[in-house]
Amino acid sequence: MNPDTEPFPAGPPVVELTLTPATPMVRGIRIFSLYSLALLLTGIVSVLFADLLWRTGWSGSRTILLILFVLLFFFAAIGFMHALYGFVLRRIDDVRQPKSIQANEPIDPAANTAIIFPIFNEDVIRVYEGLRITYNSLRSAGQVERFDFFILSDSTDPEKWIEEEKEWQNLMKKTGGMSRIYYRRRVDNEGKKSGNIREFLNAWGRRYRYFIAFDADSVMHGRTIVNLVNLMEANPAIGLIQTVPGIFNAGSLFGRMQQFANRFYAPIFIRGLDYWSEGFANYWGHNAIIRTEAFMKYCALPQLPGRKPFGGYILSHDFVEAALMLRENAQVWLAWQLDGSYEEGPPDMIENAKRDRRWCQGNLQHVMVLGARGMHGISRLHLIQGIFGYLASPLWLAFLLTFYWMWLVTREIGLSQITVHSWMADLDLGASEHAFLVFLLCMGVLLVPRVLAIIDAFFDPVRRRAFGGMAHILVGVLSETAFSTLHAPLQMLWHTRFVFTILRGRTIDWGTQTRTADGTTWTYAIEQQWWQTVIGLASGGVILWLMPNTFVWFLPLFIGMVLAIPLSVLTSRVSWGDAAKEFGLFLTPEETATPPELVALQARLALAEEDAPVRHPPYLVQSVVDPYLNAIHVSMLREAKLNPESAEALARVGASGPDVKWIAEKLLVRGFDALKPGETMSILSDADSMAWMHRQIWLRPEETMAPMWREAIRSYCS
Amino acid sequence: MDRFAQSALRQRLLGAGDAASPGMIAGRPLEEWNAAYAKVERYFYALQLRNKLVLGQLVLRVLERAMLRAPDQPNLSATELAVEEMDRLITTWFADILGDNPETRNMLSTRGRLALLLADMPGKWQDQFLAPGPWPEDFVHAMREAYLRAGPEFQLARMAPRPLDLGAMETLVNLTQSPFLNVSLFWSWTLFILILIFIFVRFHRL
Repeated sequence: MNPDTEPFPAGPPVVELTLTPATPMVRGIRIFSLYSLALLLTGIVSVLFADLLWRTGWSGSRTILLILFVLLFFFAAIGFMHALYGFVLRRIDDVRQPKSIQANEPIDPAANTAIIFPIFNEDVIRVYEGLRITYNSLRSAGQVERFDFFILSDSTDPEKWIEEEKEWQNLMKKTGGMSRIYYRRRVDNEGKKSGNIREFLNAWGRRYRYFIAFDADSVMHGRTIVNLVNLMEANPAIGLIQTVPGIFNAGSLFGRMQQFANRFYAPIFIRGLDYWSEGFANYWGHNAIIRTEAFMKYCALPQLPGRKPFGGYILSHDFVEAALMLRENAQVWLAWQLDGSYEEGPPDMIENAKRDRRWCQGNLQHVMVLGARGMHGISRLHLIQGIFGYLASPLWLAFLLTFYWMWLVTREIGLSQITVHSWMADLDLGASEHAFLVFLLCMGVLLVPRVLAIIDAFFDPVRRRAFGGMAHILVGVLSETAFSTLHAPLQMLWHTRFVFTILRGRTIDWGTQTRTADGTTWTYAIEQQWWQTVIGLASGGVILWLMPNTFVWFLPLFIGMVLAIPLSVLTSRVSWGDAAKEFGLFLTPEETATPPELVALQARLALAEEDAPVRHPPYLVQSVVDPYLNAIHVSMLREAKLNPESAEALARVGASGPDVKWIAEKLLVRGFDALKPGETMSILSDADSMAWMHRQIWLRPEETMAPMWREAIRSYCS
Repeated sequence: MDRFAQSALRQRLLGAGDAASPGMIAGRPLEEWNAAYAKVERYFYALQLRNKLVLGQLVLRVLERAMLRAPDQPNLSATELAVEEMDRLITTWFADILGDNPETRNMLSTRGRLALLLADMPGKWQDQFLAPGPWPEDFVHAMREAYLRAGPEFQLARMAPRPLDLGAMETLVNLTQSPFLNVSLFWSWTLFILILIFIFVRFHRL
């Protein structure tokens, strides 16, 4: 099937759904009940824990330990309650349906929608193939004429910039999307992603009633998009609808486990989340439809006062934008009922950590806006949970260190662990049984959501089959849980490091990533994770020295650290991921019954990899030598000058400046290597110089120019 | 050029040579013309002209023009002459097909190359490239309507950030930005720690 010419078969089923928020009283009761139950559970388990500490004699370190325990357990209990509520709601099929949205209901011609792809030095082929598939899917849904696509580049790598322009032209040719798929590159990336979107809205926002934000790896089904527009049309009070993107296309073992966890566990958590936040949900930055006017009016983000990391541009803008929408009474919904929304996950542990590093900084910065006046209480709740998602790690580490300290003191003083009378004695529980009970309760809070997800699948034959059947599900959950147990302490170490480096205003040097086709190399893993192994060995040694009798119980805590490097390398292996797939492990609905869009995408990406041309001259050189690429580039620069914001930015980077002719001459004679980075961007940003250089390259005798030009010219031969 | 001169030139181009100066064509060594041929061919190849007949004909046409100029410009190599002629031929042709246009030479060249690409000259119209008019209506239309746009017509607006009262956090940030307060805080804490150390030493008599 040629997806550019043949329509995709019917997409996700028609979803009957209404988006009417609960009354404030009902919402209040829901929030109160969910969080109160979490608090109640925390209270009960904390009292048991306090009692356990009491039995061995109270001390200052025990007070700290208890405070940390309460905090950590409370947030775990909130997660647990979300899963419990979600599970129950899913079982009683709590989908309200007063208003039906038909998938193929034609969209009002005035409801123009822009689909935007903000990109920053991304894998161009992957982004464009995702766009292409979404475009074709919308065409199959018969509504593509209501949409314009915008590739909004913030790329700073000149090679990526030129590649984006070149492939954009190819994309238009393949899809026939001329005058429907646009490409715009920002000259500077002021304000990062939110600044990129703001510049788009300043130029074209008023043309579109809605815009749908995509991530670089997003794919959405055409009918899902149509559904979203129709939902917005039917509910004028809504400012934003966030879909729940399913992770797909994972190849490595790590990627497949994350993908499985996302698709298998997320629905019950999401259902619980939606229960109390409906109409007051959050925005995750992509795969969401937004009412343009409301966004432009309410969501222009100010710069935060103070220095970095807390001051300056708001990095995780999405949460704040949702909060600003809610502040102005524009509803924000989480459309968990809609399928056909996808994104990709990181392929390995280190990439996962890199993403966490970005999110961590953004979420910590939310401390600044937490107390903003006029913000809805629910928005504060979302922000707190986001912040705690990363603060939990240093707290957990502090908990462990305090615990070790307690044992060290006991050992040094030489006192025996004589237990005193406690409530548990009334229940006829010895100290060990008491400790085991607390341990079981903690494990329960962490593991019961997984069990609930299994039960949920057990009662849902469609879902069961979609994950490969009950046996495969059970093995998958067990294996994923085992891996998570090893991975969690590594996450703790990483997040703790992120929090502290961010607070100190430092960055992390990730070095140059080296990956083979099959995954992370050993060298790179050693470079990035040796410190985790050292900490693991040290903490294992300390535990063995302090508590030899209970050493085995602590194994899961540090074994993951000790094995950090092999774990990272082996789980990054695509061959291991493929083997797991062959065994039917970690299957997801998108693998057991792959939607045609994703089949087409995977086929195209495989083809692109096979057909990747041996590119003799770099894109940078091609932008001067190649008659077509040069014409595209020069035309786009001339277009950019028409936008006053872009024209100003072009002037700032030195385009049309007094030095540019001299730089061009230097480039011709000495090549790109002779230019400073700023000069490369100046020359690439100057339309007249680029056009002039193209002529000169072909007119001048080759011996008067840098050898790279001669080689580039000679690469064209019949 | 009259028909006789053209025929003579073509004869020389096709290898008949010049009896008076063997190994030379139009006053330039054969190797020079070979290099000129390769360079012109490469440019057309870069324009994705793949039809060998068309490609060969166009290269010869350019070289003919270069050879005619060669005797008058002995300081230029055959390649320089050829690429200049190629540039002139292409730009003139762009001006013809795109219509009378006051645009500068550079802009015309860029627009013309872009038009060739967007009109799909390499796919559909190789035989029309550099051909004298009249051209097929569809081709002319495709060439003249070919524009690349970064977006539809602008509808400019300005998203203005609304003030965000950060509450107590803003006050705190403003306070920490005060150098006086920072210095005071630093010395207060230092003093506090020193007092603690003093008390500890005083009462423990280390």
